[in-house]
Amino acid sequence: MNKTILECNGIAAGYVKGLNILQGVDLVVNDGEIVSIIGPNGAGKSTLLKAIMSLIKVSAGRFYINGIEKTNLSTHKIVMEGIGYVPQVANVFPSLTIEENLEIGSWSIKNKREAIKKTFSDFPMLSDRKKDKAGNLSGGQRQILALARALITSPNLLLLDEPSAGLSPVAINEVFSSIKEINDSGVSILLVEQNAKRALAFSDRGYVLDQGRNAYQGNGEDLLNDPRVIDLYLGKL
Amino acid sequence: MLDQLGNGLLLGIIISVASVALSLLYGVTRIVNFAHGEIIALGAIATLFFSSPLDYRVLFLEKFSPLGLNFAISCFLAILVCGLFGGLLEVFLFRPLRKNDVGNIAVLVVTIGLSILVRHLYLLFATGRVQNFPLELQRRQTYLFFDMTPRNFNVLIAGIIVMIIVGLLLTYTRLGKAMRAVRDSEELSSVSGINSDNIILLTWVASSMLAGLAGIFQATINDVRWNMGFLILLLIFAGTVLGGIGTSFGAMVGGFMIGILVQVSVGLPFMEGHAEAKNAVALAVMILILLFRPQGIFGQKERIS
Repeated sequence: MNKTILECNGIAAGYVKGLNILQGVDLVVNDGEIVSIIGPNGAGKSTLLKAIMSLIKVSAGRFYINGIEKTNLSTHKIVMEGIGYVPQVANVFPSLTIEENLEIGSWSIKNKREAIKKTFSDFPMLSDRKKDKAGNLSGGQRQILALARALITSPNLLLLDEPSAGLSPVAINEVFSSIKEINDSGVSILLVEQNAKRALAFSDRGYVLDQGRNAYQGNGEDLLNDPRVIDLYLGKL
Repeated sequence: MLDQLGNGLLLGIIISVASVALSLLYGVTRIVNFAHGEIIALGAIATLFFSSPLDYRVLFLEKFSPLGLNFAISCFLAILVCGLFGGLLEVFLFRPLRKNDVGNIAVLVVTIGLSILVRHLYLLFATGRVQNFPLELQRRQTYLFFDMTPRNFNVLIAGIIVMIIVGLLLTYTRLGKAMRAVRDSEELSSVSGINSDNIILLTWVASSMLAGLAGIFQATINDVRWNMGFLILLLIFAGTVLGGIGTSFGAMVGGFMIGILVQVSVGLPFMEGHAEAKNAVALAVMILILLFRPQGIFGQKERIS
């Protein structure tokens, strides 16, 4: 079995003190996996990613990164532990150029110039427009820049919050194809996605959250064909 | 009119430096700091304390003997004091408020309260008397078209140089880029590996040092008063908004424009005998410009998608 990169045990967290959205969530991501989190609106999918990144405080439960407890470690230190995160909205710095976005993304690493150069060769579209303000990019282009910014530190695990939200079908295909390439290069992916069918078909494993708790979990394929999951979240196939 | 324009340039550089400081802080922290005027006054009062002769009794120095230091060293120390004051405000007041998710309106009210408190501490430990830096009187000379004292001309040049340096630092240095990144999104900066608390602290220090410098400029050109920062605070806000709130270059130009408009309006025919209403013309122009360009002169509209 592959090494466990991230383990969440009984996580409780929320935006307001005493009002938890997550009510004890367990989750594991192993090396090289794509893991999806699906569930209805308000289930706590995005909240879980924010809790992992310490953007909201965890009131109960523990996180382990590579087997070492990191609960409520500062966000910038979580990044140094090899975790990258792409938020659903506001995922680029609009007033900074593409190149400056990547410079900020490379804040915590030593070989910044080499990392930026490699990113431009991996994402030629960004290289062509490196002096453009990120605020002038289209939704799909922003998503690619956001992925590039999170990848520049060479993370072991990338957390993606609804990367397809608001994108055209063509842009969605591009983004999912980029995610697949990123995973093929050895980066584990933890994906929150509204497009549950596509996410599960794309993933090694999946978790279904409901009202801040684990409802179901299993292989992507198994969940896709599980009658309970179909009835509750996917609709008839 | 040229005289008024010269005075406008001098007021413009004071407001410009103070507006950049306010805009920098607002951009990064989203705090509308009504206590900004008191940090400006601190720059002037600290300089007065450090530079006045040992036997000179001014302000609260009636209780404590001034240090009688060299004027340039006094200015330098006063700017450091302002930076330290700003840093302490962030660490002991605004950071705890931020960590407890206190809303923007509540923080705004805190800054108003802080402004009143600090301003009256100056009054309490000082006298209400107007004071001057211990500098010799100078004759006015002609520089290009403008008559001003060599000292005021030096203030103008120093202010312009400081503005250029600030612009270069914000655009090209790692810290400047990090400040602009935190201005765009504190959360995204953190997940990019930036310790945003450190960047916010440095922003408070930098903004307060600039505000202190504006106070030194103002006191050099005019005088030291306990409420000197409060008296120009509205013009500083006007300069910041006119240039485009959150953009440092906009604040720079907006501040200059407001300063020039205020002084030039004194020379307008309908203002004769009503010089005390000089701020009104500048503020009316600001409202007019915002009607046609709501984001300010240099504020930019951005794609939402």
